[in-house]
Amino acid sequence: MIKLENIHKYYDSQHVLKGINVNVNKGEVVSILGPSGSGKSTLLRCINFLEEPTSGIVEISDKRVDASSASKADIFSLRTSTGMVFQQYNLFKNLTVLQNVMIGLTNVKHIKKDEAKKTSLEILEKVGLTNRLNHYPAQLSGGQQQRVGIARALALNPEVLLFDEPTSSLDPELVDEVLATIRAVADTGKTMFIVTHELNFAREISDRVVFMEDGIIVEEGTAEQMFNHPKMERTKQFLSKATRNN
Amino acid sequence: MENLLDIQFLIESFPAIISRLPITIGIAVGSLILSLVIGVITALIKIYRVPVLRVISSIYVSFIRGTPLLVQLYLVFYGIPKVIYFLQIEYGWLQSADVNSIAPEVYALLAFSINLGAYLSETIRSAIESVDRGQFEAAKAIGMTPAQMMLKIIFPQALAVAIPNLGNMFITTIKDTALVFIIGVVDIMGQAKILGSRGLAFFEVYIAVSIVYWILCIVVERLLVKIEKRARRYERGIAS
Repeated sequence: MIKLENIHKYYDSQHVLKGINVNVNKGEVVSILGPSGSGKSTLLRCINFLEEPTSGIVEISDKRVDASSASKADIFSLRTSTGMVFQQYNLFKNLTVLQNVMIGLTNVKHIKKDEAKKTSLEILEKVGLTNRLNHYPAQLSGGQQQRVGIARALALNPEVLLFDEPTSSLDPELVDEVLATIRAVADTGKTMFIVTHELNFAREISDRVVFMEDGIIVEEGTAEQMFNHPKMERTKQFLSKATRNN
Repeated sequence: MENLLDIQFLIESFPAIISRLPITIGIAVGSLILSLVIGVITALIKIYRVPVLRVISSIYVSFIRGTPLLVQLYLVFYGIPKVIYFLQIEYGWLQSADVNSIAPEVYALLAFSINLGAYLSETIRSAIESVDRGQFEAAKAIGMTPAQMMLKIIFPQALAVAIPNLGNMFITTIKDTALVFIIGVVDIMGQAKILGSRGLAFFEVYIAVSIVYWILCIVVERLLVKIEKRARRYERGIAS
């Protein structure tokens, strides 16, 4: 369903992704864990070409895009088949909650306004924000903003959702509402990639866990395997240390 | 007894001066609109580092900032007809244009647009660059085209940032339009000069015209405050 083949990314001479290979099946929830600077966010952002991979292949469903020859149309196709949730929410500040969710439908998918509104309202219902439709992002709490962010990503009904540290900017007491929303989305069978520092959450929600360090995948496996019987010493060290901190 | 002012004349000069207000406002507003277009284009050229055009646009900005507006007005007024005439004779281009029938207002509008466009270029560039990177990324991530991203997301936010600056420049432009009489445009200042020479009462007419400028600028300032509030409405805190 999603295939990353030999993804390399250089920033000038700095080699931040050193040949990443990942396969994800439809409906799987995959968490990418690792210390800061391990390249996990960069990897996620390579999937929708917010960062252009220096080389490698990104494949979503039947669409196969080689970084060395990616056209605008290829990139557009990757972006419309993915939805991204950002660490800093990145809601469109000049648009209301409803407009934030609708804009992709009306402007990218060219769906009629009435229909787009209906779809958006249904999604906002799911994330529990129908009472904030005409608020601007600045008028919402961080948790509410992130739930709108999730609604915006869901609106285009993408094949896969990409979460880039979705709770890292939130006050601790707001984390749970966002995690609950992500969990609810996972329960609908969406394919999801999650970069997170919430290890307990990753353990509970993930079908598979990928542990990265220094631009390579150190180890991957089911959540059960990775947390209870990691093969690599480094994985064990990282996961156990972080779990204690949680 | 010697009078300092002929109050009667001063008061009577107002209607004639005000009758020329549409010319002053027309040139100011018209050049604001055209210069916004020029400013946005040159700003985008700079931001996207378009080769060749980038060099041309920075020469343009540098030239305009480095020469007096008065000189630019003359350059446009005397230069453009010559250029058009040259193109007609040498290449047979622009045959339908009749150089002699172009109103001086058109040259004034062009000169002010070119001038203001250069100043706006930097203001607009910095306003666009002040928009959070995340806004660009979110727009790209949902598949917006660069044009959609700019029109729907970035420009509205940049505008809110730029309005105080744009407003100041617009007010400066309103006042600078007082120069246009030198190329034969009868604006409020031109009308004041005509009245003044007719009645040999210059002090009176210049007092009158300065009051008209002053009130015009106060009205524009008030309007700008309203526009800024509207453009920044999304920045307000938690709604009650």
